[in-house]
Amino acid sequence: MQFAKDSFYLALRTRLAALNPARGVNVNGVNRTAVLVAENEPAGSFRPLPNAFYINWGSARAVEGFNQGSRPLLSLDCAISYYSTGTCESAVDWGRVLGALDTELLCISHPAFTRKLDFTQSPSADLGTNVFWSPPVVSDLQKAGGDGLFQHMAQLVVYFFPEADLP
Amino acid sequence: MSQSSLRSPMTAVSSRMRAYFAAVDRSAESATIFDPAKHGMFNLEAPPSPWVDLGWIGNFARFCGTTIEVAGAGSPVAPVRQCRSSLTGRVEFDFFEWGKLQMALAGGAQHMNVLDADPNSEAQPSGGTPRAALALLPGSTASELVLGTGAVNSFAVDDLLAVDTDYQQQTGYIGTGLSAAYVRDPQDVLRDVNYVRRVTFNVGRVAGKTASSVLLAQPLLGGAPAPSAAAQKVVAFIDREGGSFFQEWSALFVHQEQSGGRICFYYPRLSPSAPHANDQTGYEREHRVAISSPLGAIALHASFLALPYTDRNDNETVLCYRAYFPAPGAAIY
Repeated sequence: MQFAKDSFYLALRTRLAALNPARGVNVNGVNRTAVLVAENEPAGSFRPLPNAFYINWGSARAVEGFNQGSRPLLSLDCAISYYSTGTCESAVDWGRVLGALDTELLCISHPAFTRKLDFTQSPSADLGTNVFWSPPVVSDLQKAGGDGLFQHMAQLVVYFFPEADLP
Repeated sequence: MSQSSLRSPMTAVSSRMRAYFAAVDRSAESATIFDPAKHGMFNLEAPPSPWVDLGWIGNFARFCGTTIEVAGAGSPVAPVRQCRSSLTGRVEFDFFEWGKLQMALAGGAQHMNVLDADPNSEAQPSGGTPRAALALLPGSTASELVLGTGAVNSFAVDDLLAVDTDYQQQTGYIGTGLSAAYVRDPQDVLRDVNYVRRVTFNVGRVAGKTASSVLLAQPLLGGAPAPSAAAQKVVAFIDREGGSFFQEWSALFVHQEQSGGRICFYYPRLSPSAPHANDQTGYEREHRVAISSPLGAIALHASFLALPYTDRNDNETVLCYRAYFPAPGAAIY
């Protein structure tokens, strides 16, 4: 399952870097493309940065109708959250930036598949199947913390076949 | 790390299908070949030449009407042999995108370019007498039409153009590069000098201009224009219920490989036909694809009959090919 998560994350990160190289964030002094996985960030003091996509993994299950046999098709709920404080001090353009983030997310979600790779080795190893996902559905505005900020959250489902190699 | 002996996944998953068409040489009845060995896993955004991308399609369905006869022998009679007594294959789908080629294929008969008409011409449902064509000059290509200084000002950026030769009283298939219609008798088309440009597939949109030429947004489907070609402005496209001409094209349909394996259907020769669901009341030429009421996209419904093709590798007569490109690492059986 971790390989599917990693492959999805790296597909989005690579596509965003190509689509909009300027969409980056500085995390602990390191410039990174603005796609991050919440569960991979330091626990405790973690606080999402603006103008960045945070992948949040949800529950996993076997897909009905494809859960028989030795290699079931699994699904994994995924929510991608992001918010903006705008580009100026008054933050009056936060809605425009949020709209731009919406567009970028929808663009990097296509095509809705990528190869599943094992990134624990170098060079990464092809695991023989694809990871694919449903079209993202962007929610209405939601409160983002207690700062009067609003975020968007895109829901989608990631599908994959479990690995033959069990770590 | 332990190694599992599980069979690798073989499920084919796809949410979308893409259609590509290419011309059949009508005079020679020669199809455009899709060679899976050469072109199988091509980039869906950049099909191999001369295939033309007609976009994503929906409601794709293939129908097999091939009949198999069983010969019996003995007492009691028992089946001893089978043979295919007739071959029939059909395919139906909806074009989600509208364009010259999509309309022509969905309509099935000759597809017409409505040429910009002389304001004083008699009204005609497929367009009246058009304004005079402008002859192309040497050096024109499929993407750049050389008209000369001054003449180039007859066309503006964003204009649609039809580019082909004058009709010269010939009979048979007409249209440069692609057969667009069939003329039995010049009198049928009133010996109209513009008739080839009324039906030609060589249409383009002006994307830019130089001092003496226009640059097209997409190259002409039939390739570089003939030396005697001329250009006329097009204002719309028309197809008609009726007509004696039948389009015939080679077709390729590709399921996008979301789970890794690609499935392709190649039809060497497809000709428009009545849909499978045809009944006394007819059928819908366009399908409405709901977006959110009252919004809906209008899809062109297309239905085709597969015509026979002889595979030179074994001399078998076939109607279509189904190709599967397994995902890397996938089990084969």
